[in-house]
Amino acid sequence: DFEASFIRLIDKVTNGSRIEINQTGTTLYYQPGLLYGGSLEHDCSPSRGIGYYLESLLCLAPFMKHPLKIVLRGVTNDQVDPSVDVLKATALPLLKKFGIDGESLEIKINRRGMPPKGGGEILFACPVRKVLQPIQFTDPGKIKRIRGTAYSVRVSPQMANRMVESARSILNKFLPDIYIYTDHMKGVSSGKSPGFGMCLTAETINGTILSAELASNPQGQGAAVLPEELGQNCAKLLLEEVYRGGCVDSTNQSLALLLMTLGQRDVSKVLLGPLSPYTIEFLRHLRSFFQIMFKIDTKTPEEEHMGGEKVLMTCVGVGFSNLSKTIR
Amino acid sequence: MEEKEKKKHRAKHSGPKAEKKRKRYLSDLGIGDEENARKRNPKAFTVQSAMRMARTFHRTQDLKTKKHHIPVVDRTPLEPPPVVVVVVGPPKVGKSTVIKCLIKNFTRQKLVEIRGPVTIVSGKKRRLTIIECGCDINTMIDLAKVADLVLMLIDASFGFEMETFEFLNICQVHGFPKIMGVLTHLDTFKNNKQLRKTKKKLKHRFWTEVYPGAKLFYLSGMVHGEYQKQEIHNLGRFISVMKFRPLTWQTSHPYVLADRMEELTNPEDVRINPKCDRKISLYGYLRGAHLKNKSQIHMPGVGDFTVSDVSFLPDPCALPEQQKKRSLNEKEKLVYAPLSGVGGIVYDKDAVYIDLGGSHAHEKEEEEVRPNHELVQSLISTHSAIDVKMASSKVSVFMDSNPLGSEDVGQEFVMPKEERQIDSKTGRVRRKALFEEEEKENDDAVSDEDDDQDEEEAAMSEDGSNGDAEEESDRELLGEEVALGRAKHLKAEVAKEEAVNELPAFADSDDDLEMSSEGEEGKTALEENEMEEDDDDEEEEQRTYENESSDSEFEAASKRVAESKPYEINSEKRSQDLDHSLKRKAALTTDSGNCTAEEASEEASESEVENSSLDEGDGEEGSHDELDVEESDRKGFQHTQTKEADSNRQTKLKAVEAEDDDVENLLREEEDYEEKIDFSADTTGALKWKEDLIQKAAQAFLRQQRSTPSLRKLIYGTAVEDEDHESEDAGDELGGLFRVSRPDKASKQKANALDCSKFLIEKLQDWDLEEVMSSIRDCFVTGKWEDDKDAAKLLEEDEELYGDFEDLETGVVHKGKPAAEDDESGSEEEEEDRKTSKPEPEEEEKKKERMDKKRKLKEMFDAEYDEGDTTYFDDLKEEMHRQAQLNRAEFEDQGDETRVQYEGFRPGMYVRIEIENVPCEFVLNFDPHYPVILGGLGNSEGNVGYVQLRLKKHRWYKKILKTRDPLILSLGWRRFQTIPMFYIEDHNGRHRLLKYTPQHMHCGATFWGPITPQGTGFLAVQSVSGTTPDFRIAATGVVLDLDKSITIVKKLKLTGFPFKIFKNTSFIKGMFNSQLEVAKFEGAAIRTVSGIRGQIKKALRTPVGAFRATFEDKLLMSDIVFVRTWYPVSIPTFYNPVTSLLKAAGEKDSWSGMKTTGQLRHERGIKLKQNKDSLYKPIVREKRHFNKLHIPKALQKALPFKNKPKNVEKKGKTPKDQWRPAVIREPHEKKISALLSALSTVNNYKIRKAKVKRREQLKEYLKVKQKEDEQKFKRQKEAKKKVYRILGQREKKRQKSSLKGSGKGEKNM
Repeated sequence: DFEASFIRLIDKVTNGSRIEINQTGTTLYYQPGLLYGGSLEHDCSPSRGIGYYLESLLCLAPFMKHPLKIVLRGVTNDQVDPSVDVLKATALPLLKKFGIDGESLEIKINRRGMPPKGGGEILFACPVRKVLQPIQFTDPGKIKRIRGTAYSVRVSPQMANRMVESARSILNKFLPDIYIYTDHMKGVSSGKSPGFGMCLTAETINGTILSAELASNPQGQGAAVLPEELGQNCAKLLLEEVYRGGCVDSTNQSLALLLMTLGQRDVSKVLLGPLSPYTIEFLRHLRSFFQIMFKIDTKTPEEEHMGGEKVLMTCVGVGFSNLSKTIR
Repeated sequence: MEEKEKKKHRAKHSGPKAEKKRKRYLSDLGIGDEENARKRNPKAFTVQSAMRMARTFHRTQDLKTKKHHIPVVDRTPLEPPPVVVVVVGPPKVGKSTVIKCLIKNFTRQKLVEIRGPVTIVSGKKRRLTIIECGCDINTMIDLAKVADLVLMLIDASFGFEMETFEFLNICQVHGFPKIMGVLTHLDTFKNNKQLRKTKKKLKHRFWTEVYPGAKLFYLSGMVHGEYQKQEIHNLGRFISVMKFRPLTWQTSHPYVLADRMEELTNPEDVRINPKCDRKISLYGYLRGAHLKNKSQIHMPGVGDFTVSDVSFLPDPCALPEQQKKRSLNEKEKLVYAPLSGVGGIVYDKDAVYIDLGGSHAHEKEEEEVRPNHELVQSLISTHSAIDVKMASSKVSVFMDSNPLGSEDVGQEFVMPKEERQIDSKTGRVRRKALFEEEEKENDDAVSDEDDDQDEEEAAMSEDGSNGDAEEESDRELLGEEVALGRAKHLKAEVAKEEAVNELPAFADSDDDLEMSSEGEEGKTALEENEMEEDDDDEEEEQRTYENESSDSEFEAASKRVAESKPYEINSEKRSQDLDHSLKRKAALTTDSGNCTAEEASEEASESEVENSSLDEGDGEEGSHDELDVEESDRKGFQHTQTKEADSNRQTKLKAVEAEDDDVENLLREEEDYEEKIDFSADTTGALKWKEDLIQKAAQAFLRQQRSTPSLRKLIYGTAVEDEDHESEDAGDELGGLFRVSRPDKASKQKANALDCSKFLIEKLQDWDLEEVMSSIRDCFVTGKWEDDKDAAKLLEEDEELYGDFEDLETGVVHKGKPAAEDDESGSEEEEEDRKTSKPEPEEEEKKKERMDKKRKLKEMFDAEYDEGDTTYFDDLKEEMHRQAQLNRAEFEDQGDETRVQYEGFRPGMYVRIEIENVPCEFVLNFDPHYPVILGGLGNSEGNVGYVQLRLKKHRWYKKILKTRDPLILSLGWRRFQTIPMFYIEDHNGRHRLLKYTPQHMHCGATFWGPITPQGTGFLAVQSVSGTTPDFRIAATGVVLDLDKSITIVKKLKLTGFPFKIFKNTSFIKGMFNSQLEVAKFEGAAIRTVSGIRGQIKKALRTPVGAFRATFEDKLLMSDIVFVRTWYPVSIPTFYNPVTSLLKAAGEKDSWSGMKTTGQLRHERGIKLKQNKDSLYKPIVREKRHFNKLHIPKALQKALPFKNKPKNVEKKGKTPKDQWRPAVIREPHEKKISALLSALSTVNNYKIRKAKVKRREQLKEYLKVKQKEDEQKFKRQKEAKKKVYRILGQREKKRQKSSLKGSGKGEKNM
């Protein structure tokens, strides 16, 4: 279901793709076309969050022919996929590091939609680039502030405040500079299902952003969650993320590695926390597709209190340049 | 020269001497130098005009910035590949003579015949690859793409020829390499003046073509068939100091100019089908960018291929090791030109000869250069082998199939046996399977040879002498080589060469080898009778396993059985173990002497991640274990099985490597840890977990310690195994594609379940606990900082630096504490201790501190100072420089094998590239005179799509180009024929199809062809075959855009006729065929030929396709109505690479592809049938006849008189009596009248003259008057001024006095 929706999305952003699915739906033949971009709209399947679609769009958007401006509708925050808030807070700064910046790079949440019915709407816009800059991103720096959003839709607005309180109670032990926005959506912008959740980001002095998030159980599934508990858990997840550390948070590891691979024929370095299974799989794909192997050095922090061990990933870009961008 | 003798003395105008003279002269005059002038006359040096100054400043700045290039990251490797020098020129201009002379100049060797590229060492840091370029346009195009320096030979006695200009234009399109002109045949000039004139003329023409000031060399005369030594020497000097600017295409693509080609096809396949596709290997220096294995390449003139294997070889023409000496000694002046027979091998048409001796140079080279010297020696020692090779070299086999010597027959006899085995075993033809069989034989045959070669190898002090890996790779390669008709003895040389590089043998490749050669090894082991008893049973297992793998059907079946995971794992593991054990054994057997050392080194090379002490096998197991762990964690099943396997393994390993104690330890540790993990997995109760938290933490730490080394293996190593696994049951058509996550099914299932990038945390650490919290305490700004970044510390340091300052506001003087004092007060006891022990270091330390401080200050100053005039450009440059440094430094300390894995083969390496499925014609018709280039393709450059170009017909090309005529383009690496469509962009962005290219204008073109990055230049020729006196380059341009859809449209006019006309409305028929069509065009603008505009309104019922339309005026029935529509044009998907290298040897320049319709018509004598309607006819216009205007009587009456038609009576002929008679003068009267007229003329003239004079006088007078007036006015003005001044002064005085008078008053006010 969501795969079909994803394929439709890919078909929309490309030009000249050939997609054949046999009658039983067991085999898929896909011949990629040219990334086209432009202003688009897409209704995502509510069985997966928008994050699922957005993640792949983040990888593709800088290499379109025309700048991408797409409206995605569906579930903005759920328990499975990285939520739009998190991607907005973490992936966009990461893209900026690779030289993909400008005013038009943005993610805007117009409406929030919680599972199971969704009804959220976001706008994602990204400029195009011909080449990416290599990055040397090996020093995460110290965390200087923690920001976050606590949202609640179609439930009492008090929920958000309760989450904030509980999260602060934990995080205040580490850092005084905490500000968590409460975002209560009303009326038409609140989607079709009730729910609440929270995402937290920790920003370091060097611009690294680590994130954690948690959302309530969808309506009618599982037990009800206390907002206090959720806030606390989310804060703990953030601490866990901090413990893992690295210059890129665990959700965006693969994105960072991909963009490094697609860079110029220069050395790029990035310090990551422990690699997630997804990233490991991703690395294998990178190797089979681009013949790129990363040099992997593990680094244990010299000091005791700097969290877990890190992985220094180094690679030489493949010298990819955006073939679809028109020159005049 | 004579003219020099004639030259007069010229006083020097520059240089120190002239300077001195000038100074003396000036001082004599008492003027002094310029500075004095500045002092003497400061006014002359002040700003005269601010505007002017701004302008000059602007201009200089403009000029300065104009010189800037966009900075690029310098990606040249430390040891760059040889510079490609292309010698080009029309025939008989002396190209090969120049090459020979240059080679002789650099190396003191004389080459008899030059074929293909010749690589020489020209200096301490420079090598040259010299290649001759014929006049074939294919060759010219190919070589222009790879050239770094072009020596353009020009026959001065003739002047420029078309080839020269063609080549220049080709160069311009494909990035402009350095071009140096060389004028030859200057001795043909007898007249000196003529010579000078010609030189000048040619020089200036050359300059306009290249750039003003381009270097042009003159080679005057020949001496004994060679150019003059001094001139060649100068030329050589120029070449070897030349600097090159990186060209975009060349730096962004890897490429190899192949200097050696070998065929590796199985001779049996060739025998069965002489036209079968071949497998070849090409050798050459890698240039440009990094080359990755399995990447796509294009061979211009042949086609696209995928590299099946790349390996790097020791440099056959290496730069001298140490750089201290001033010049090269004779031994270091190397030549390498295998195609010309200098590298010891001569390629003939149907055989390959090895040049054994005699040649002094050859011997020297072998002694000095070839690291695999002993191999060659061994080759030389086995004379019979040479014969074998000569006879069995591929070419001979098919060119003249009969001459097979007795030896050959014997060998041929061996071959089928091998083949038979293959056939019986597997129906599928897999290379690997093939090798398995062959290798066995090999080993038998070579074992004795190998032994002594091994010894030699050991003696050889090359990198690490990793005997085993070499051995293995050798064997594999040998296996391939055997395919070359048992010429192995000879080929062993090659194999050895490769072996050295093949040992990149790091985990995956090794595994590859193992997997492939497992079976044989086992057998060889058996045959060699050096098996140890312990392993016998495993051997059996192994054999069964191997049988499985060998027997196709059974294999499949067993695989199916093996679907149950544990078994698979087990077997896999066992096989792995066996590999290792066997390998070790093999090592033992082959070189019994220094087995341990070799093993160690090999293992080092293999595990190479970090733990050199960690055995390779162990590492392997490590990764496996982890997989196990993962599985058990996730599923918790079949633990016993794995344990069994483990124990098995342990015993085995013990047996095999009793010497490695630590290995065992590690193994045990591993097991322990495994158990623990299992334990944890079982008892995941939160409480319990909390209890032994510390223990857990320790465990985690340990785990990380253990796991991180194999992180790389976890990611890549396992994948490699998969690959093997896949290829093992290669039944499925996936071929090159391998699924990555086969073995760890657990993870795969997980992936199947949910494809999510979130890193879910299984077990959250308890962040309420103090220890856990403290573990990340320092990640926050509130935590402790590192010494060098701690804010407090920095502040302190700053204080030290800027300690002394005076607060100006308060006037308080702050004084920083002297650092030394601080130290003393801080840690006096310590210091005392130190003092007692080491007084000197103390002082040194202080000194150091001082130095540090100074340095810091200096840096700060520098930084501040520099900040002033850094521009954006400088910053950019600096950044690029930094990146270049990083690029160089990053992998510097790693071995070549590892580097190759990470960054690919770097330029400058001598590589061997294997390519499969090459058309047999390439091998059959191989001609070393034609360059073989392997151009690497970037991502998706192997695809085909629509490419849009900006194109301009070359101004020297005589014809214009027609749309839809096939054209040969040279774009990127490729030469191909395609059908372009020309278009022009209208003002509204519409791409309108053109029938022909414009004469002198750019136009767009779209064709179906290979995707090439935007901004790449291209050139087009109409045909590559034959020679024409005309200029051959038809068009040039640049790629603009790549797309999968096209937007070219052509105009389509639909016409119709009115069949009913009302006032402004007409019914029109004949334009459309149905109501539906009309409906589609409702509202469209239509027009008549006469220019009346209108609109389609609505379809009519009858007749079909008719419609109602309104116009701005009434139509006539004779009007034709039309609507302009745009019809998208489809572009023919025709893409045909030019395969000129596949042509037979003599006719490589005769490739012809699709012909144009014009050509076909011409050939067949078919005349174009023209549409009669479109022929031009003389326009016949009938004289129009208008009727007389007739006004009715009634109307006439009503008209006013003015407008009434007058009743003009017809003027009849005047009657004779009214005629006036003609006056006929008398002669006298005539005279009078003539005189009168003359007089009047004179009078008239006089009057006119007087008039002019008067006018002049008046003018004069006016001028004078004006002057007077002016003066008068001036006077008046002055007088007025005087008066006013006086008045003013008076006024002022009055005011002053009044001010004085009222001064106090004012103040008071």
